[in-house]
Amino acid sequence: MTLESYLVLGLVLFSLGLVAALSQRNLIAVLIGVELMMNAASLNFMAFNRYVVQDPAVGQVFVLIIIGLAAAEVAIFLSIILRLYRQRREIDSEHITTLKG
Amino acid sequence: MVEHAVLYLFVGLVLLGGLMAAFAGQVLYAIIGLGVTLLGLSGIFLFLGSPFVAAMQLLIYIGGITVAIVFAMMLSTSMAMRPPQSHRGKSALAVFAGALFFAAMFVAMRGAEFPIPTGALPADAWAISRIGHLLLNAYNLVFETLSVVLLLAIVGAILIARRERKAA
Repeated sequence: MTLESYLVLGLVLFSLGLVAALSQRNLIAVLIGVELMMNAASLNFMAFNRYVVQDPAVGQVFVLIIIGLAAAEVAIFLSIILRLYRQRREIDSEHITTLKG
Repeated sequence: MVEHAVLYLFVGLVLLGGLMAAFAGQVLYAIIGLGVTLLGLSGIFLFLGSPFVAAMQLLIYIGGITVAIVFAMMLSTSMAMRPPQSHRGKSALAVFAGALFFAAMFVAMRGAEFPIPTGALPADAWAISRIGHLLLNAYNLVFETLSVVLLLAIVGAILIARRERKAA
């Protein structure tokens, strides 16, 4: 596979994540969409790292940092979901509109 | 030849999992789709020359994040088990937005040119020890900041999710 085909794969994955984040109603499924988008970014980093960059260790460091940030993000997101579920007995993104102006 | 077959198998896994995650009605299927996608991506990272990042993807994403999401799903059961209500307008709009994004980025990508590096790589360019050296020298600030961010995320998650004491 060439660089372009990896980029197209990453683009498809990002678009699928976007569709998931926009269309799903359960907050956990929305989180899964966000995770897909982050992984598409990681794939792009690794592809550029393989085919374009002079020093291939830099892209790997970037991807490791992305994985660490994703772990922190998931921890916060899931704790918010648990808190919401305990208070309101639902995690439907259509019904949680307390902050809507 | 076999290598190509395995690579396309991983690509197929990524696409299949992505489709499952994007269009699943039940949350459990979306989580399974996420796991399949992460597995395929881990294999692709292997083909892109980095066994270390592939192993970290497997350990942290599949072993940690997916399992945590499964736990959260089980703790919010009633929503997860409720049959999904169809919401055609919203889904159609979301698919339209995704297709629009895909088309725009694809057109932008066709016009882009990427420089192909000339000159040979040093012999140890792909060695794992170089990642360690970079993390502790050039990218030390990022590394330490990330550890502080992770610590704050853990403390914040505990603070948010703990049970409130009854007000007296």
